[in-house]
Amino acid sequence: MQDDEVIARTPDALEEQRGRSAHLPGAAISTTRPAEQRTAGAVTREKTFSAGQGRWVAADCWADCGSKGYNKAYVVDGVVVRMGTDDTIPDSWDRPQLRACARGQALRFWLTGPDRLRYPMKRKHWAPGGGKKELRGRDEWLRISWDEALDILAGELQRIKQTYGNSAILATKIGVIAARALGLFGGFTDKWGKYSSGVWAHVAPLIGFSAEWNDRYDLLKSRLFLLWGANPVWSQAGLPAYTYWQAKKAGAKFIAIDPFYNPTYSMLADEWIAIRPGTDHAMLLGMIHTVLVEDRAGALIDRDFLERCTVGFDAQHMPPGADPKENLTDYVLGTCDGQPKDAEWASEICGAPAERIRALALEYARTENAALCMSGGPARVDNADSMPQALLALGAMTGHLGKSGSLVSVAHHFGTNGGPQLVRGHNSRSYNPSHTRAPDIPNPLAGNRRAGDSYGEPIEGCINLNELNSAVLTGRYTVGKGDIRPINIQMIYHAHGASMNQLPNTLQGVQAHRKVEFVVAQNMFMTTEARYADLVLPVTSRWERYGNVCIGHREQLLWHSQVMEPWFESKDDLWIGVELAKRLGLDPEAVEPWAWKQEIFNQVADARVVKEDGKTYEPLVTITEQDLAEYGVEGEPQQGRIPIREFQEKGIYHLPRSPDDNFGYVYLKAFREDPEKRPLKTASGKLEIHCQALADFVSRRGWTEIRPIPTYNPPLEGYEATFKDWTNKLKGDYPLQLYNLHMPRNAHTFFDNAAVLREAFAHEFMMNPLDAHARGIRNADTVLIRSRWGKVLRIVSVTPLIMPGVTALGQGARLELDDETGIDRGGCANVLKGATPTGGGHLGWNSVIVEVEKWPGEPLEPDHRWPAVIPVKESKA
Amino acid sequence: MSMQLGFYFDASACTGCKTCVIACKDRHDHPVGVNFRRVMHHEGGRWEPHPARPGVWTPQVYAYSISVSCNHCAAPVCMEVCPAGAIRKNEHGLVLVDQELCLGCRLCKSCPYDAPQFNEKRGVMTLCDGCAGDAQPACVAACPQRALAFGDIGALKTKHGAVSGIEPLPDPRLTLPSLVITPHRHSPLSRDPS
Repeated sequence: MQDDEVIARTPDALEEQRGRSAHLPGAAISTTRPAEQRTAGAVTREKTFSAGQGRWVAADCWADCGSKGYNKAYVVDGVVVRMGTDDTIPDSWDRPQLRACARGQALRFWLTGPDRLRYPMKRKHWAPGGGKKELRGRDEWLRISWDEALDILAGELQRIKQTYGNSAILATKIGVIAARALGLFGGFTDKWGKYSSGVWAHVAPLIGFSAEWNDRYDLLKSRLFLLWGANPVWSQAGLPAYTYWQAKKAGAKFIAIDPFYNPTYSMLADEWIAIRPGTDHAMLLGMIHTVLVEDRAGALIDRDFLERCTVGFDAQHMPPGADPKENLTDYVLGTCDGQPKDAEWASEICGAPAERIRALALEYARTENAALCMSGGPARVDNADSMPQALLALGAMTGHLGKSGSLVSVAHHFGTNGGPQLVRGHNSRSYNPSHTRAPDIPNPLAGNRRAGDSYGEPIEGCINLNELNSAVLTGRYTVGKGDIRPINIQMIYHAHGASMNQLPNTLQGVQAHRKVEFVVAQNMFMTTEARYADLVLPVTSRWERYGNVCIGHREQLLWHSQVMEPWFESKDDLWIGVELAKRLGLDPEAVEPWAWKQEIFNQVADARVVKEDGKTYEPLVTITEQDLAEYGVEGEPQQGRIPIREFQEKGIYHLPRSPDDNFGYVYLKAFREDPEKRPLKTASGKLEIHCQALADFVSRRGWTEIRPIPTYNPPLEGYEATFKDWTNKLKGDYPLQLYNLHMPRNAHTFFDNAAVLREAFAHEFMMNPLDAHARGIRNADTVLIRSRWGKVLRIVSVTPLIMPGVTALGQGARLELDDETGIDRGGCANVLKGATPTGGGHLGWNSVIVEVEKWPGEPLEPDHRWPAVIPVKESKA
Repeated sequence: MSMQLGFYFDASACTGCKTCVIACKDRHDHPVGVNFRRVMHHEGGRWEPHPARPGVWTPQVYAYSISVSCNHCAAPVCMEVCPAGAIRKNEHGLVLVDQELCLGCRLCKSCPYDAPQFNEKRGVMTLCDGCAGDAQPACVAACPQRALAFGDIGALKTKHGAVSGIEPLPDPRLTLPSLVITPHRHSPLSRDPS
């Protein structure tokens, strides 16, 4: 609960810590404060703020949303009294301020909230080996010392290693820092697969098409935008939507293609074509068919580009060795199977009128400067492996690839701003690059790849994300086709990520967590992972460390500094790794080769910025001998663009730009100009509309089969699966589709527990009035959502903005399982999603079918009225 | 009165993202339940089924958001109804609540914009003051779409026009808000309820 009581508690809480050698750069420190100053009501804050007694500190927001905002915190006596956003430069389109979103503005409410973890804890009914494992998730907590906590952790690691071997330790998304210790310890079982990319992760490298963005200035040349499943307003806040707004003001036309008329469209869209989730591929084929048959005398189709730069479009342009019948044109025309994939065929599947599909295809084909901007959503669908080739084909045939003013792009987390990074540093928003100049520590159980890295590609010894829970429960996992191997997981180690809440089939995850001998979680809050653990270690946020360096989009680099002291007894992940190493008999210096301050200094020194020529780079910061002495670090003086102190004080560098600078970029332009001289890294050197390598890759995974050309493969739980009789359109047990979108309240599970954000954003379940009325459901009712995998309660928002037959629930809300009924009250979308791998082993979040009914029991309270989760309130155990 | 301060709101640029709401809460240390700035979502519409093909649909919908705070009206209802005389307009036209005089009776909730916010802990009404003393209001500085501005309402009207009410905001003739709006393409002007 965020109220004055909480705010009053905060400085008292920090008082407890002030005995340490706290020193925040620039802040006035006093170890005692007069009693009247301890009342941190708004009036007191106002006075201290106006009196200028504090200091602004560039404050990290490291949420894995894929966008970036600049946040600063005003600190008075070690207490954050307010937030601010970017005003380091005057705001212009050439050089825009990097403004924060609602989540960034809520950072201090969140990070200093009453539910921040303070002390190490063990589960009351835990004992080595697990104790009462069935009580995980519903047990009581005891506060313990760090010594005891680390002894437990080290003890269990050693016991499990000796009893079962290192492969019994499952540690996914633990970040590079914690992974260094475990890597030195002999390794651990990790996952492979990516949460966000959907099929693009395995498809893009094989077909040669990664759907990158052009530079943002080039985007403004497009006259027509097809926004496809796109909602950067909620999912990548800040500059992406603001860029589209510039294009809108310049007169571009926007057409939205989506099951939901989202806020991005309400701002931009001139038209909305509603299509069902998971039917994007069918829609694309319907458009391809239209352009094929309407192309008279080559007016619509760019045959030159298809010939020079692609393979597989028709029988005359096949890669060597391929069956000539296996070409896209014949498939789309229905030459072999008798079913043209025309607009009528597509319409039956996707739900948009055929005439609308045809009109869109022709408008797109006839508009020279057109941008097709798709989100990652359509790729996060079971069996969607072939969709990118259909997208590629449509863009290629209509002449929209590799030309200024046009693009076909995916995912807004590049800030709708493509091209080489103009200000170079690490993208440390989604991981902690540790000790960037030190050799990586390999994980022997991950093919000796860097320990804790994000393995997109399959690696023997690592488990596909869809199979993590089933591997724990069944003792088997898939290595490849016909290759199922045993694995005996007895320990689950959660750190940086939310791998229990954010995997499909959460109830299966609960079972898995109650089966193993030991579960440990490191986090800032009582996350789902922490609740189902035996041992919980409170960690510092990035506000409580020396600092962090991270890119913004192409043109910004941020350097955040320490905002406040470590929260109560919380410790850095890095410190935990070092202490663990000591207890395991490993070299602590191998885990932490140098102090974090030195590491951040190294990253700043290594930052590079492009020079005017657009090709060469120079150091961003100038470092003098005096700087080295004052910072107290090792290094060499260097000449750069701005003084290092200036970069630290501002906390951000924005590269100045202009429309005619040398930093422009058009994806595939160089390739389009000369594909012979600049072949792609595909088997043919070209863009592969026919891709045998992709079909082989999927086949080798052992779950499904696909063809080398983009034939439509219905998802396991898509529109087709809502029927028991497709021909007569008789609905089955789960007649409604559900898909998961990114919501403004959270960045996955980050921020979700902040009360002010819960107040602003309700995490409702959305359904169309026709479907609601048919079930006697009214707006704001509590409803039960059921799939074959689980049940979830939510308050419903009945809205005409979502298509009939389709429902939506945001992802990232935390599991609140009632063990008696098996119902989740928290709105965790993954409770409803099955974990059956398909294709390349991607995560198909948007393929779920459900039924919904009005809940006859107690209505849910709105989320922001739920009490904060505070496991241990007392100061002493 | 030398000048009248007020807000400009660009409904065509607004995405309803509520960054302004949270920035304001942060600036004033507001608990859950107290929001000087509020965002409302206005939406509606219908679905046309295809006459011959079940499962094929054409939507006809509209949706937009409105961000509104205190409008420091020229004829403020709150000031009129306050029995304690706790509400007044200062020399910049800002409508302010004197918390020493406020009884907490909440009659000023008759404001048609719901601007006065009751702070339970302190037992008084609180009201947007344009972040007086700051370089600019927190909401204006925060908006990622640059959809807000604050300043001399005369100058804002010269720049942005005369619209000061769009549905479902009240008819501006009721309280004469110091507010200028660029309408959203779907937003009709506020109508007189009579």
